[in-house]
Amino acid sequence: MSAVEETVKDTIVKIVHCDREILTPKATFQDMKADSLDMVQALVALEDEFSIEIPDEDAQKFKTFGDFVTYIEKRVAEKKGNA
Amino acid sequence: MLKGKVALVTGSSRGIGRAIALKLAEQGADVIINYFRHGQAAEQTAKDVENLGVAAKVIKANVGDPEKLDEMFDTINSSFGRLDIFINNAASGVPHFALDLDTKGWNWTMDINAKAFLLGTQRAAKLMEGRGGKIVTVSSLGSHLVLPGYVAIGVSKAALEALTRYLAIELAPKDICVNTVAASLVTTEAGMLYARIAKEQLGESPSWQTTPAGRLVAPEDVANVVAFLCSEEAFMIRGQIITIDGGTTLVPFGFMSKGG
Repeated sequence: MSAVEETVKDTIVKIVHCDREILTPKATFQDMKADSLDMVQALVALEDEFSIEIPDEDAQKFKTFGDFVTYIEKRVAEKKGNA
Repeated sequence: MLKGKVALVTGSSRGIGRAIALKLAEQGADVIINYFRHGQAAEQTAKDVENLGVAAKVIKANVGDPEKLDEMFDTINSSFGRLDIFINNAASGVPHFALDLDTKGWNWTMDINAKAFLLGTQRAAKLMEGRGGKIVTVSSLGSHLVLPGYVAIGVSKAALEALTRYLAIELAPKDICVNTVAASLVTTEAGMLYARIAKEQLGESPSWQTTPAGRLVAPEDVANVVAFLCSEEAFMIRGQIITIDGGTTLVPFGFMSKGG
């Protein structure tokens, strides 16, 4: 498990109050029992955590926990590449 | 007209807040641009403000979080040491009907839309001490009309409007004018998103596709009125809710007859 995935997991558990174990790559927001407000708060927390900005049009494509992790890993890698 | 004034516009990365920031800058005010989620858009607003020949400062803060709101005012205090204009524009909300609304959605909406106005005004009034100031908040017709899935936001806007009246009287001896602008559907991303959600998810389409004035309200229409309320010409307007709706609320049942 990557460090990014660990951090995303920590953040989502903290905001959504779901069990850590259910956060598999295929876990949907319904599985997490997360509503749209949870998602906004999670996005903001992750933006702060990784110092990135996640545009709404990208965030709207996220369907699963795996989508979150893949996207953030990509953005973090891009950021490192640009540094 | 506003040369040398320092203005804070909450939620000014996009939409109505951005239009207000640009209008105040056009009139000579230095503008503090607050945002929560859209940093790149906030930076763009700041650039556009600076291109008008005034100073801009971007501050990220969720105004619904009292700690972050305080930090923002601390930054304003240390950077400018004063404030002349406070525009309480930032807004958010959950698009639910009353029976589906939970405490989390209610608190989120009330914190950002209503509580931030009270706490922000408490801090702003201190920065206006001895120099007077202008405070304008942005409401909507949902404060007194029933819009689909708008209950949380509508109630928060009603609180804003009541607060406006109390604050206008309480702050009058301090030479601070407090007023509200309330617009019908505005052609912003948020306004269009609400119209889409109302249609797709709630099964109800807002009847206001246009107004008797022939078009929907644009962000600049709201900004123009806000700028007037920030001018000395508006000195005797206190605690008022100024409706900007192209005449929509004057025409019940969708009638728009010409010449009566």
